[in-house]
Amino acid sequence: MAAAAVTVPASPVTANSAARRVWRAVRKNRKATAGAILLIFFIFLGLFPGLIAHDSPTAEIYGRSMGVSSAHLLGTTAYGQDIFAQVVWGTRQVLIIAFGAGLAATAIAAIIGVSAAYLGGTWDGVLNLITDVLLVIPLFPLLIVIAAYVQNSGTVVLIAVLTLTGWSYTARQLRAQALSVRSRDFLEAARVRGERAVYVVCVEILPTMTSLLVAAFLTNALYAVLFASSLQFIGLGDPNATSWGTMLYWAENNEALQTGQYMWAVAPGVCIAALGTAFALLNYAFDEIGNPALRPVRKIRSKRVRPARS
Amino acid sequence: MSDPHVPEPVLEVSGLSVEYVLDRGSVRAVDDVSFTVGRGEFLGIVGESGCGKSTLLFAVAQLLAPPARVEAGSVIFKGESLVGLTDKQLAATRWRNLSVVMQSAMNALNPVKSIGAQFKDAMRAHGVRRSDEIADRSAEVLRMVGIDPAHLRSYPHQLSGGMRQRAMIAMAMLFTPDLVIMDEPTSALDVVAQRSLMVQIKELQDAYRFAVIFVTHDMSLISHFSDRLMVMYAGQVSELGATRSVFDAPRHPYTQGLLEAFPSIRGPKVPLKGIPGSPPNLAMIPGGCRFHPRCPVAFDRCSEEAPDLYQLDGSLVRCLLYDDAAADADASAPTGGRADA
Amino acid sequence: MPDDAVPIEAVPADTGGELLRAEHLTRHFKIGGALARHTLHAVDDVNFSIGRREIVALAGESGSGKSTIARLLARVHAPTAGEIRYEGRPLSQLRSRRDRLRYSGEVPMVFQDPFSSMNPVFRVSHGVLRCLKLHRPELSERQRRDEAARVFEVVGLGPEMLHRFAYELSGGQRQRVGFAQALVTRPKLILADEPVSMLDVSIRIGLLNLMAKLRDEENVSILYITHDIASARYVADRLIVMYAGQIAESGPIEEVLAAPKHPYTQLLLSAVPDPRAPLGVAAETDRGEPPKVIDPTPGCRFRWRCPVAIDTCSHVTPVLAELEPGHEAACHVAQTGAEVKAFSA
Repeated sequence: MAAAAVTVPASPVTANSAARRVWRAVRKNRKATAGAILLIFFIFLGLFPGLIAHDSPTAEIYGRSMGVSSAHLLGTTAYGQDIFAQVVWGTRQVLIIAFGAGLAATAIAAIIGVSAAYLGGTWDGVLNLITDVLLVIPLFPLLIVIAAYVQNSGTVVLIAVLTLTGWSYTARQLRAQALSVRSRDFLEAARVRGERAVYVVCVEILPTMTSLLVAAFLTNALYAVLFASSLQFIGLGDPNATSWGTMLYWAENNEALQTGQYMWAVAPGVCIAALGTAFALLNYAFDEIGNPALRPVRKIRSKRVRPARS
Repeated sequence: MSDPHVPEPVLEVSGLSVEYVLDRGSVRAVDDVSFTVGRGEFLGIVGESGCGKSTLLFAVAQLLAPPARVEAGSVIFKGESLVGLTDKQLAATRWRNLSVVMQSAMNALNPVKSIGAQFKDAMRAHGVRRSDEIADRSAEVLRMVGIDPAHLRSYPHQLSGGMRQRAMIAMAMLFTPDLVIMDEPTSALDVVAQRSLMVQIKELQDAYRFAVIFVTHDMSLISHFSDRLMVMYAGQVSELGATRSVFDAPRHPYTQGLLEAFPSIRGPKVPLKGIPGSPPNLAMIPGGCRFHPRCPVAFDRCSEEAPDLYQLDGSLVRCLLYDDAAADADASAPTGGRADA
Repeated sequence: MPDDAVPIEAVPADTGGELLRAEHLTRHFKIGGALARHTLHAVDDVNFSIGRREIVALAGESGSGKSTIARLLARVHAPTAGEIRYEGRPLSQLRSRRDRLRYSGEVPMVFQDPFSSMNPVFRVSHGVLRCLKLHRPELSERQRRDEAARVFEVVGLGPEMLHRFAYELSGGQRQRVGFAQALVTRPKLILADEPVSMLDVSIRIGLLNLMAKLRDEENVSILYITHDIASARYVADRLIVMYAGQIAESGPIEEVLAAPKHPYTQLLLSAVPDPRAPLGVAAETDRGEPPKVIDPTPGCRFRWRCPVAIDTCSHVTPVLAELEPGHEAACHVAQTGAEVKAFSA
C-alpha cells in the first residue's frame, strides 16, 4: 500500500535569500544591471571623492576658463576652480538630497496611502482630499514659492521642501495597491484574531508591498535630484555649496554656454541626467521584477508544425 | 486512423502535446493526448487542478499564447488541420463552425457594452451586415436559451450569474456551430442554476445536433449529461470511455479514487478516504506511471514503466494492471484514436 | 499522512448545554451611495442555536446570507437588530479589549480561499504564533513553538511545515494551516466559511474528516458554511437551510434530507447531482434565481418559484415553527400540516 508523502519537496530558496532573490533578479534584468552600475558608481564618488579628484573644488587658484587638459580633465571655471573636482565633490550633496528626500517622501506616502486604504470611510476621504490638493497644484511653482519664502537655503530645508511637495504622487500609487491587498483574506484573518489596526498596517500590509515601496522610493529620489538641481539652478539653493545645481547656477551667471565654456554647464548637466537615468532604470526594472506581466516576452522561435493529413 | 467507435468524427485530436517554455526549461502541460468527438456527441473532460484540461482546451481552440505552444500532434476539425493555420484562416472557421464558452462570463463579456451590441460585433466580424438579420438572430438565440430578448439592451452586470452564462451560450450559438467547447461554464453557479444550465445545453444539443466538449472538475455533474468521459491526470489521458461504463465500472485507480471521494446525499453514510497526496508538479514528474505515488494498488513495475493507453471493452485505460488483459484480448498495439502522422 | 478516515457515527454529538444562540439576528446594508436610500436585507430575523460538540451545517446559495452570518458571529459586522448570545452573555456587552480577545480566541474563523488566507511574506507559522501571542500570552516563546508544532500534528501536517512559505504548500495543506490557527487558541466554536469549496474533490474528504475528528477529539463545535449539501451530510449533525437572508428549514441532518418540509429544500435536494444515482433529470426544471433582497415587502421570499404557494404566502412572512421535534420549517403550507411535495428528485 503506497502512501504518498504529503510534504512538498522543500524549495531551495527560502526566506533568507530575499536579498539573494533581489540580487539574482537585478543581475538577470539588463535595465536593472545598468541602473545599478551607474548608481553604485555615483555612490562611490559620493563616499570617496578624494580618491578620484585630487584638487579642491572650491580653491580659486587655477587659471581661469581653461579648456580641457591633462591637468584639468574638464577644464576650469571663470573663477579658476577645477570643474572635474567640483563635479566629483558635488556628488555627495546631490546624493544626500536624493536619498534624504526620497526616503522621507516615501515614508510619508506609505503611511498616508496605506492608512487611507485600510481605514476607509471618512479617513480615506480626508486623506485623499489632502493628497489630491497637493497633486493638483503645479509642483515647480509651488516649490519656488516655498523655497523663496523660507529663504534659508540649507540642505535640510531643501530636503524638507522637496519632501512636503513630493509625497502626494506616490501616495496615490501606494493607496491603490493597498486597496487591492485589503480584500485578501489574510487581512481579515488578522482582524478577526484581534490584531490592532497599527499592527495590521505595519506588519501585514506594508511588507507585501515592498517592491512598490522600492519603486516609490526610486521615483521620489529621481524627483528630488531633478527638482533640487532646478531650484539651485535658479538660485534658490545655497550658492556657496558644492553641488551640480549650483555649478549650473554659476555657469549661467557667467554665460558659460555663450562664451564657449561648455564643460562648466555640460559636465554637471550630464551628471544630473546620468543619476536620474540610474534611478529611472532601476525603477523600470523593479516594476518588471514585481510584476512578471511586464517582463519582455522572449520570442519563441516556433517551428511550424506541419499539418498532418487526416 | 480515426477511432472506429466514433461515428462521423467532427474533431480528431492525435498525439497532442503542449509545452510551456520557461527560463528554467520546458514544462509539458499536455502529454500525447488523443481523442475524437463525433457529430452531436457530448464529451466530458474531467480532472483536478493542474491536470492540463484547460490547456488542452485552449490548444484545441488554437487560443494558446506564448510561452505555451503546441509541441507535437494534430488537431483536425472536419477534415482540416487547425494547427498551423494563420490567424486569418482561423478567424473564418471560429465561431461559424467552432465556438468557445469560457469559465466566467464576467471575464468574457465586455462590461461596457450591452449584450445586443456584443452579439452584433460577433456577427459583423463574420460578415453578417444587415441590421434586421442581426436583430432577428440575436433575439432568436436568446430565446433559445430561455432569456427574454428584451435583455439585448442589458449590460452584463445587470444580469444574474446564471443568465450571464446563458447569454454566453447564446453567443456561442449565433452561427449554430458544429462544435462548442466549454471550459467549466457552471463552476461559478449554485447547484440549482447549474442543473438548469446543463439541462438547457442538453436540450439545445438535441435540437441542433452540435458536438460539445465540456471541461469540468465536477464529475458528479457531468455524469448525467455526457456520452463519453475522458479523465485526465498530470497532463495525460488516464481513462476514456462511455460515461456509464466509466461510472459503473471505473478501471483506473485514479478514477476509482475520484468517484469514491464524492459523498452522497442518499443511501447509507459511509466513511470516505479521498486520495492521499496531491497531483505532481509537472516540472518534476515521478518516473514510471505518474499516479503511482498516490495509487493504493501500485506494484513494482509502476515506478519504472510508464503505461500506455490500453484498450479494454471499448474503453481506454492508462494502467499497467490492464496491459496483460489487453495482450490477452488480442489487441496487438495499444492505440486509440492516435493518427498515424 | 495519518489515516484519518474516522468512522462518522463513532461518537454521538453531545449537545448538553447550548454554546451560542442567535435571536432575531438581522443585518442590513445601505446601498446606492449617500443619496439613494435602498437597504439590502442580507440577514433577516434569523434564530438558531449551536450546541457543544456538534457540527452545524449552514447551507444556501450565494446571496442567501450565510457568509454574512459568519461575519456577524465573528464580530466583523455589528447586527442591525437582534442579539447573539455566547455562553449566555450577549455579544453587545463585550466592551473591553480583553473580553473581545477572549471571544475571538474561543470563536475563531477559517476562511474559504486557501490562496489568499495567508500572508505570502511570512512563513506559515506566522499566523499560529501571532494567535498564541495574542490569546495565550502566558506562554513562553519555547512553549509557543511547542504548541504550534502540536496543533500542526493534530491537523495532519508535520512540524517541519512550520518553516515553509505559503507558496510551497498545496491548497489542502493551506486549509489545514487555517484550522491549526483556529485550534491553537483552544476554541469552543470554529466558524468555517466554505473551507473546502476551493479545493479539489479528492482533497476535500481529508479536510472533512479532519473536521469530524476535531469535533470528536478536541471537543470543538463547528459552524460549517457551505453550498454543497453532500459534504454537509458527510460531517454535520444538524442542517440549517437559508434562502434570501432567512432560514427556510433546520433540523437533524438525516431527517431534513430524508423528509424535507420546505419547498426550497426539496428543490435544492432535487438539483444535487449524484453520480451513483440512476440517470434522471428533475421533472420541473426551475429557472428562477434567488432574489437580491432589496427593500423587500412582506411575504415569503420563495413564493415566485414555489409551485405550492397559497394566498397567505404573498402577504405574511412565514416564521420558523417546529413541525417535528427539533425539525423546523418556515413555510405556511407545511405549517398547516399538509405534506409538501413541491419538487421530486
